[in-house]
Amino acid sequence: MHCNEYKLSRRSMLGATAAAGATFMGFSVQQLLALEGTSHAPKAENVILFWNGGGMSHIDTWDPKPGRPTQGEFEAIKTSVPDMQISEIWPELSKQMHHCSLIRSIAGTQGAHGRATYNLQTSYNQSANLIHPGFGSVVVHEKQKVGDLPAYVSISGRAPRASYLGQTCEAYFVGNPGEKDPYLSFPEGIQQERGNARLERLAKFNNRFAGSNRNAALEATQTSIEEAVRLMRSPALKAFELDKVPTATLNRYGDTAFGRGALLAKQLVETGVRFVQVNRGGFDTHTENFTAMRNHGEIMDPALASLIEDLAESGMLEKTLVVMLSEFGRTPKINMNAGRDHYPSVFSCFMAGGGTKGGQVIGSSDENGEQPQDRPVQVPDLHATFCHALGIDSAKEVITPLARPMKLVDGGEVVTELFV
Amino acid sequence: MTRSFSTPLAAMISVAILCTSTNISAADSAITGLSDVLAKENASNGVSLTPMPVADAATFLRRAYVDLVGRIPTEVEIRQFAELPQQTRREQLIDQLLQHERFADTWTAFYADMLRLRSNADGGAAAIAFVHKAVQDGTPYDKLAKGFISANGKAGATPEVGFILGDNADPMALAGATSQVFLGVRVACAQCHDHPFDSWTQHDFYGLAAYFGKTRRIETQFTNTVYTTEVKESTVLWPPEGQEDASDRKPMAPRFPFILAKSDNSSQAISRLEKLRTAYAVAAEGERAKKPETSVDDLLSDLDGKVDKAARGKKRNTLDVAAEAKRDARNLRIGSGIASESELRAELAELITDPKNRYFSRCFANRVWAHLVGRGIVEPIDDFSDSNPPSHPQTLDYLADEFVASGYDLKTLIRGIMISEPYQRSHASGTNAIEQAALEDAFLATPMRRMLSEVIFDSVITAGHLFEVKHPAGQNLKTVWQQNRVNKTPQKSESADDQQMAASGAAMQPKTRMVASSYNLESAIELDFDAILKKNSELSPQEANVAIDRMAVMSKEELEAVRMQQQERQRTNTEYIDRFVKATVDDNPTFTSSFRMASPAAPEHFLRVFGQTDRTQLGEHRDQSPSMRQALMMLNGRLTHEASRVGNLEPVHALLIGEHADLSQAIQLAYREILTRQPTVDEITEAKTIIADAGKPLEGMADLRWLLLNCDEFRFLP
Repeated sequence: MHCNEYKLSRRSMLGATAAAGATFMGFSVQQLLALEGTSHAPKAENVILFWNGGGMSHIDTWDPKPGRPTQGEFEAIKTSVPDMQISEIWPELSKQMHHCSLIRSIAGTQGAHGRATYNLQTSYNQSANLIHPGFGSVVVHEKQKVGDLPAYVSISGRAPRASYLGQTCEAYFVGNPGEKDPYLSFPEGIQQERGNARLERLAKFNNRFAGSNRNAALEATQTSIEEAVRLMRSPALKAFELDKVPTATLNRYGDTAFGRGALLAKQLVETGVRFVQVNRGGFDTHTENFTAMRNHGEIMDPALASLIEDLAESGMLEKTLVVMLSEFGRTPKINMNAGRDHYPSVFSCFMAGGGTKGGQVIGSSDENGEQPQDRPVQVPDLHATFCHALGIDSAKEVITPLARPMKLVDGGEVVTELFV
Repeated sequence: MTRSFSTPLAAMISVAILCTSTNISAADSAITGLSDVLAKENASNGVSLTPMPVADAATFLRRAYVDLVGRIPTEVEIRQFAELPQQTRREQLIDQLLQHERFADTWTAFYADMLRLRSNADGGAAAIAFVHKAVQDGTPYDKLAKGFISANGKAGATPEVGFILGDNADPMALAGATSQVFLGVRVACAQCHDHPFDSWTQHDFYGLAAYFGKTRRIETQFTNTVYTTEVKESTVLWPPEGQEDASDRKPMAPRFPFILAKSDNSSQAISRLEKLRTAYAVAAEGERAKKPETSVDDLLSDLDGKVDKAARGKKRNTLDVAAEAKRDARNLRIGSGIASESELRAELAELITDPKNRYFSRCFANRVWAHLVGRGIVEPIDDFSDSNPPSHPQTLDYLADEFVASGYDLKTLIRGIMISEPYQRSHASGTNAIEQAALEDAFLATPMRRMLSEVIFDSVITAGHLFEVKHPAGQNLKTVWQQNRVNKTPQKSESADDQQMAASGAAMQPKTRMVASSYNLESAIELDFDAILKKNSELSPQEANVAIDRMAVMSKEELEAVRMQQQERQRTNTEYIDRFVKATVDDNPTFTSSFRMASPAAPEHFLRVFGQTDRTQLGEHRDQSPSMRQALMMLNGRLTHEASRVGNLEPVHALLIGEHADLSQAIQLAYREILTRQPTVDEITEAKTIIADAGKPLEGMADLRWLLLNCDEFRFLP
């Protein structure tokens, strides 16, 4: 805390507030935030995180270097924001960039997939005998669940573990977007009526077993069954279905696993799901980087562009933070196999909505995309920023199994410019 | 939970009096005084509550099966128990089950949780298989612990090295893990600062870490062989990084921060242990005299034969690696090479397992007690400290001392706890929450325990007759889409999405794809413990270490050749694509024991959803709390569904269909098979309604069994 600065920064004031028992001159944190005016109040209610595993090339996506030897095969193209150029693999998205921001100066520290993924997804560095929760778990730990659907859904891949935040903060897993979870309907051959009769009788059996004494473990089990049944019967479940989506919409997003994932993510946040992680792999482009990235672009561009457009049109973008992130960037230098290798020193992040101001570029890398040039952003800064957007106190401490207090985010400073 | 029995079987398994017979134990070291010691300690603590009675025989039977063999008993086993003489049958059952083949499976999971062994980690599967064998063979716990703490060698070939490799041979992590796992002391906090609530200082922590300071995890560059070895320089330096005087950091001297007991009550236990060990040593000496000893030369020539054979077995061997390596092997001194034993850690292992180190025996005794009784004398079980004293220190010391005197014998410890009253008491049902807590605190009532995930899984299989085929062949023919892995034809690189499309098959309905992939969360890779140990024992640990030493003297070119060979193998083996084909299958599923699965299971797997940890985090224990996912898996999962369905080959079938049909008997059988008890008269009437409502008796019985498998009474131990 920089207490001798003449101007108390908002963050340090909040930090002091938290330390002093969540009040400051009689105001709660929420009230203080409200005092600062609407532009600073947290607006994000939901998050869609596109996790691009393998280390996505920053130069070939968000941070082109036209005219430099490191640029490679792609052109830089204009966007709906004057002076903001992105790679030609984003023709549709380029028209939506006034809704979107880029951070081009992430200074990563980890160059191996496992460690870097851990770092980017949790804000912490891996340690030998403790697992830190992923950001999605942090969000659903802090933001109340809405409706019947699980608060945290991971599509097409694994989300990080909730660890010490507990089982309720684990992601609900969807293998293929649009595919129905077999555990949400009665087993094969059990008709609705028969299944319902079973459930009714089960409640009776369990009530009888519990008897008159109130046992916490039995009550919690009963609650979990009730929750499960509510989900099985919930009309909100149709948010998991894609078969009613008009063909035209499906085609606009691109009828790919990724496009369907984006559509599903949209339907889920519209139904109250707090955090959706859409996973995609294949970014570890040590060979044939440009072929691979062109392919990725063809699949991701229509989906991401349509998602931003649709969320902006419906007003959902205001309260939905959309992020595309990867564990590191790739070497500016192109290797002898037309590939790029792991590169954590500088890379980029795509963000939109959730109260962030669109059309901005935060920070920059140097002329070849090798090092942060100005306003380096550390990995925990990203997480602190996401938390800020959601009104989550990133310095809040939770207790691990070893009775060690851990902050929700490993330090970090909010990238405040995003919210101005 | 008191239940009235009203049938012949109920008469047979009516309330039995707990017997404290003395003639059962084979060993002189049987632990028989636990009930008395606890009663005395409670009395001196001023506890005047009326204890809950010892549970009835059926309850004991279910608990004993679950705790010793990891599943509920079958109908046949219930009958066998009922036929044993009432006065001695509880002890007899315990003795039988301690010899059961599933005992080792079940208690391997206990050790694997404790040691955080992961079958997918370097040397992890071998370490688990090794523990399995140790439990089977009755290896003393101190010997097992010593091996894990001090071993060096190749992952797999030296199975115990899996423990060190689990923490990447990191000294800091291992200092924390070793003290917490084996001694129940949480010194990990002291890595960064003096312990806030305890006497451990950062200096203590570094002293402990220094025992691991010279250990390195090595992964060979090309062949990816992982092993541990000792180097000259310690990486544990003092003062810690970032401190004021950190400019001049020096290797930390190893120092054991725990004080060994002087002469006190435990010395009697120690002298009993020494007597036992002398007896063992005499017996072992006799065994050795019968067998001639193998010389190092024999070992080496034997190894050469094996390596040659292995090399010949591989086709198109572009380079005879073995021959090249052999040439250099002559320059090596066997046993002093890369994988020699760690002297520092051997010293640490001696200190940790010293019978005078009371943390060691107390910690383990408390762990096993907590596992069986449902609550530790020290809780959490890995937090022994001045600020967290044991609730019953005398009882704990009695148990710990007896454990030492038994020669650190797991079975003696388990048996001693299970024949005691604190294990066999009923739950405090019908009392208010405060009284219940007081009774449980004093071990005068047992807390309610939910079965472990593996036990639930295996118990559903047992109750549902799913270990073996229960439907006649051809009765469950189904057309399904099958996922087949085929070699990928060389093509231009496809995008991930194209591959996914290809994998899903153009003509396939989404629903059938679902059928093909949906219930994967209930199946898993089975580990063949014996095969794992056998595969690795083709070379003995010394031989494997010699092999590593040889690799170290291979030239760059030789290693490159090995790498190329490996790459070639990968090219031909790993490029595949998933194709879906339509096929008619006889869907007649059987399941295998979850105790034999690769563990920990995948994150969304049944076992994990029910609380199996990922065995990574220190101090993370099984989360036994319920979740919506658990409910969904039990309500709608394939396992419960298949277990509920009645197969023609099951005994209950004849009681439902045909001339010997007897609905009442069928219902009673279902209750016994699933809940290990007789139904009450009311429950039989209710079950008859359930079955009548279904229209068909088979479907009605499936409904009843589904209910019994899903109800709380099934997953919570009586």
